[in-house]
Amino acid sequence: MKINRVLAVGVSLLLAAAACGGGGGAKPEVRIGSDNFYESVLMAEIYAQVLENDGYTVTRSFRLGSRQERAPAFTDGQVDLVPEYVGSGLGFYDATLVTGDGATNRELLQEEVADLATVFGITPGEDTNAGVVRTDTATELGLASMSDLAAVQDQLRWGLPPDCDENPLCKGALEEYGITYPPAQRESLAACDVPIAEALNGDAIDFAWLCSTQPAIAQYGFVVLSDDLDLQPADNIAPMVRNDYLETVGDADAFQALLDAASALMTTDELTRLGVEIAVDQREVDEVAMEWLTENGLLTAE
Amino acid sequence: MSEVVAWFGDPANWQGPTGVPTRLWEHVWISAVSVATAMLVGLPIGLWTGHTGKGANLAMNLANIGRAIPSYAILVMVLPISLALAPRLGYSPNLGLSFIPTFTAMVLLAIPPILVNTHAGLQAVDRDLIEASRAMGLKESQILRRIEVPLSLGVIVGGFRTAVLNVIATATIGAIVSFGGLGRYIIDGRLRGIAGIPELIAGAILVTILAVGVDLVLGILQKRITPRGVRVVTGHPEIIEPAPI
Repeated sequence: MKINRVLAVGVSLLLAAAACGGGGGAKPEVRIGSDNFYESVLMAEIYAQVLENDGYTVTRSFRLGSRQERAPAFTDGQVDLVPEYVGSGLGFYDATLVTGDGATNRELLQEEVADLATVFGITPGEDTNAGVVRTDTATELGLASMSDLAAVQDQLRWGLPPDCDENPLCKGALEEYGITYPPAQRESLAACDVPIAEALNGDAIDFAWLCSTQPAIAQYGFVVLSDDLDLQPADNIAPMVRNDYLETVGDADAFQALLDAASALMTTDELTRLGVEIAVDQREVDEVAMEWLTENGLLTAE
Repeated sequence: MSEVVAWFGDPANWQGPTGVPTRLWEHVWISAVSVATAMLVGLPIGLWTGHTGKGANLAMNLANIGRAIPSYAILVMVLPISLALAPRLGYSPNLGLSFIPTFTAMVLLAIPPILVNTHAGLQAVDRDLIEASRAMGLKESQILRRIEVPLSLGVIVGGFRTAVLNVIATATIGAIVSFGGLGRYIIDGRLRGIAGIPELIAGAILVTILAVGVDLVLGILQKRITPRGVRVVTGHPEIIEPAPI
């Protein structure tokens, strides 16, 4: 009996405190995490600023690691919200489910994490695996799409990730495009990384797996070969929020609407442009995020 | 753990260009070439500064900068430069991609312990002994060869040992720029995600075995070439070896 009374007092005090802190509605502190590369940090920062603008207190735990390290941090409840790539995120749970359509990937990812989290609306912009060549190679050999590679495969030095053998999106996709795997001249370099882009630019390889929004593409003027058979998964970005956090937010729909409004304006071109500003021009992420949000009228006071 | 044992038991991991013997050879080879180069640079400078006492500050500070910059940073900084120089200097871009950045990072890692230990070893030699040799008419080169180097040999080899150990453990990062070596298992295993964890652990075990094994051999060597008079002997007094008079 006594315990119940103490609990009741405690709960009512908590409720009172929450009501006072929120200024109209309860706005509990939100802990936002991100992966350890610029694009994930940028999206996390954008979501953080949108929420701060709406009166939430944000704790930033950015650069938690790659998905392997970040996913457990999210699952264990160390962060409440992370930007997630819906294709790769789905692949983390079940690689066989991944499709070439972002909206489908989002729905499937939502099913996978239903007990834990809610996946909000996706960005129209996507960051996919992209086969990339130098301009001189593209001109010389007449390369525009992945299908053009088969005819000249023996003349090329291939930069492929070390896990290509087991990755259906790498080995499988190359074979679909008529490339004999493994190619005779191959360097093992992680996809979407700095060394593979440097190696391509420095003429140590002729083909590289990069990410479609990677700043090096714009920086060095690489040619992205079109994925004409649509084999690569659509990796649109969406905020993924823990359900137990959403329950503490007074109006979960309003909370989602805030973030969806920002996601809806993030196109592939914008992702690439902002990426160049951060990774090439070395501008601060929070500045770039604030500038973009302001330009798009997303930081206006309530 | 059973998966790591299974990895070691899989014959596929012991043959061909990605097998343990090939990777081990690549690892030993890059480590040996890097430490040998570092000896060629660090030893003469350390002997000079240790003997003369001149330029010690400059040399030590430069060496410590080399020690302070992470090898990974050196690797990434050297990469675009070595690639850009390839067409101009006429070497293969593949050398510029993998060998040159790895080699540079490893040489810069190995120089500081060699240089610093050589310098410190020579400086620690009793000044009275050197003055006495000089008074007896020994030339500077003779003092260096007959007095200073023999007396500080243990410390110099100690620096060499540190360099070898550091290089063997760190040469793993060469895998980032497509170099081979045992680091391939670690880097590749990590990229393969959860499925790659046994490979990653196996790679770490192999590097540890190599580093500790080589260090043990060098430790024995170090003990044997240290003059008996300057050996530190521990244990029971009755087994202390008498210093030669």
